[in-house]
Amino acid sequence: MTTFEHCVRCTLCVENCPVFKVNPAFPGPKQAGPDAQRFRLDGERSVDDWVKLCCQCQRCQVACPYGVNVSEIILKAQLKYSHEHMSPFTAHLFANTYHLGKLASLVAPVTNAVTSSGAARKVMGVLGLATNLPMPEYRFLTLNRGRRRKGKRRSSRKVVFFHGCYLGFNRPDIGRGIRDLLAGLGCRVVIPKQTCCGLPALGNGDLEIAKKFARKNARVLVDYIDRGYQVVYACTSCGLTLAHDYPEVLELPEGRKIAENTYNVHEVILDLLENDAADVEFGEVNRNIAYHIPCHLKALGIGYPAAGVLEKIPGLKTTVLDDNCCGLAGSYGFKKKNQQTAEKLGVAAASAIKALEPDALISDCGACRMQLGHYTGLPALDPSEIIIASLEKGASKKSKGKRRIP
Amino acid sequence: MSAYEYDAVVIGGGVSGIMASLTLASGGFKTALISRGDPVCCLSTGCIDVFSHSDEPLGGIRALLPDHPYSLVGEKGIVDALCFFLEIMDEAGLPYEGDPGRNRKILTPIGSTKNTCLVPQTMAHADMSPGEYLHVISFQGIKDFFPSYITSRHRNSTYSVYDAGVPTTLGIAARFDDASFLDAFITWLRGLEIPHDRVALPAVLGTIDPASVMEKISQAIGRKIFEIPTLPPSIPGLRLFRAMKRVMQKRGIHLYWGKDVTSVERQGRTVEAVTLATTGRAKRVQGRVFVLATGSFVSGGLFAGRESVRESVFDLPVTVPGERKDWFNTDFFSGGHGIERAGVRVDRAFRPVESMIDNLFACGSILAECEIMSLQCGHGLAIATGVAAAKSCAQELS
Repeated sequence: MTTFEHCVRCTLCVENCPVFKVNPAFPGPKQAGPDAQRFRLDGERSVDDWVKLCCQCQRCQVACPYGVNVSEIILKAQLKYSHEHMSPFTAHLFANTYHLGKLASLVAPVTNAVTSSGAARKVMGVLGLATNLPMPEYRFLTLNRGRRRKGKRRSSRKVVFFHGCYLGFNRPDIGRGIRDLLAGLGCRVVIPKQTCCGLPALGNGDLEIAKKFARKNARVLVDYIDRGYQVVYACTSCGLTLAHDYPEVLELPEGRKIAENTYNVHEVILDLLENDAADVEFGEVNRNIAYHIPCHLKALGIGYPAAGVLEKIPGLKTTVLDDNCCGLAGSYGFKKKNQQTAEKLGVAAASAIKALEPDALISDCGACRMQLGHYTGLPALDPSEIIIASLEKGASKKSKGKRRIP
Repeated sequence: MSAYEYDAVVIGGGVSGIMASLTLASGGFKTALISRGDPVCCLSTGCIDVFSHSDEPLGGIRALLPDHPYSLVGEKGIVDALCFFLEIMDEAGLPYEGDPGRNRKILTPIGSTKNTCLVPQTMAHADMSPGEYLHVISFQGIKDFFPSYITSRHRNSTYSVYDAGVPTTLGIAARFDDASFLDAFITWLRGLEIPHDRVALPAVLGTIDPASVMEKISQAIGRKIFEIPTLPPSIPGLRLFRAMKRVMQKRGIHLYWGKDVTSVERQGRTVEAVTLATTGRAKRVQGRVFVLATGSFVSGGLFAGRESVRESVFDLPVTVPGERKDWFNTDFFSGGHGIERAGVRVDRAFRPVESMIDNLFACGSILAECEIMSLQCGHGLAIATGVAAAKSCAQELS
């Protein structure tokens, strides 16, 4: 394990920091991370309030050729700072997005009407929330309320789907699509009762809440892993939290086991298509699509598995873009103090997408989709939506072909 | 064929690895590239030094010993590879200029000039004729860029300072991406009514499309403009890397970014797969041929212990010139340190010698005898050997 002492100050992390690029108040990952770490002492109160300007995209850590855990150093400094100081109202609010989502989805139509009303947005502004982006809409029929099991009982591949809050409360339709997609490829899929992965709490400086969420999930997931299930995620930030933060930051005893058994949904799909020879046909999808890679997918270091699946779709042109952070970074951009940073980064990422003149953008991350859908004005889709459209087309072609046989 | 099975797997995401993977993908081979972090080329001037030690690059190369990697590529191979690089950069939208047969000058931040061969368009006008008048623009608070270093060395030169509202090169470059900032800058610049022949700025003219930013400024004031590379973080280095990466992604090369190769699977004299340390667990990447482009000491391709030098991924035999006392000269700046010649020795097909592996090829600064510091041939050698090693791979594959 390399630490801050292995930093040779080459500045590759600085070149990759989106916040440093647009906000002069943030001294950059080299200073906020390894440099300042030399002066942080356990017994001493933190004074570096700028450390909270880091959006935890982890691009610095990916760029570091020496394997220094730059963003992890910064995250721990953020947690220490928050522990020692009063956190603002927004931090408490966003640390608890799960409870918020539970409540909001229960009265979804009311929530959506209220959050989009002018008066409520004024109140949000006063409370320290950014108001340039529309708030995500909530759905009553969350993933916790739909069908929770699908696929053959004795299928050799068994997966437990960790969908996270965004798919759970805001886009259960995408979650159900992924459930059906995996089942259609021959998997047994279970959607267990789950809570927030804990990342919003970590990002908002609340280690205790994060640990509480994580312990709850760990109990459920380990139980399935012991019965031969693989954990799959679609939201890459949830995925990174399970694979990295559970063992490394939250130091859960089961963390390593969970990390070793957690897969991106498209890794599993690729594997089912190629090794288990799932009998499916991809239909033509004539679209030109920009694929915005979420920072946390990059940080996972697994390559871009969805791009590997999309390659198989005839007629589809996909251009991968992985140099920009969308700027929203979960709840980061929903805070008034980060609004300008988020907006500048959002505009820059959107212009890179628009330069390709695509008819839609895709991204694995719900926050990226919200932000970039807003700044590009393009439909913002999950990769699975394109894959499902292609398979449906392929299936109808196949059944037509069969009918022709006398 | 499994999802993670490729024709060719390139290890190392620097200029050499990227050029090797682009050559392979252009030949229709399914290619993957693995990199631990971003390459040091992001810290470079962005210029392609082919052989800057002498004024005439190809002449200098001809005089090298037969075991220098350049000699293994041959003159035609070198020129072809550089032309391929120029094509790639055109396609990437970051055109480069220059003649592989001739060196040109660029201006450095301390006012000296430096030989190089291929330059981004924004440095094309840096090769000034004697007696020309130069005006330098600096930015308020910018680190490690002192225009008076330059004006003290150039008789007919002056400078002015602009306040961009932010002191960092990356911060200023990001502002130049914004049209309204550029307009305000141009208005200020016109107000100066510069009488000089050329205007030079630190290399901060945008992160996306520097050539058009330069063109706009140049047209507005009717003067030739050029950039001066800065100390890291280096914007031209970053542009070079990102432009090459864009072409890789366009060609469908699969990128595995940010993690180490932790182990190698061998079957007899064949490497079958490498294991990649991804977050939380390992991932297996299979290939029919492998290219080693992990760089030398700075990039971690080579590791120097007290008595010996090791190659980090395959533990290949490494040539080391003499004992440790022979590795360094007492005078640091004299150049020609023995350790510069350390590396992996290859045959004419760029296969590491005595490696007992048939499907492995090596390129770039990991090669023995390359002496890239004293000969000043880093990017040029990376391009030439990257393309040459990839061509051998292609032969092996077909």
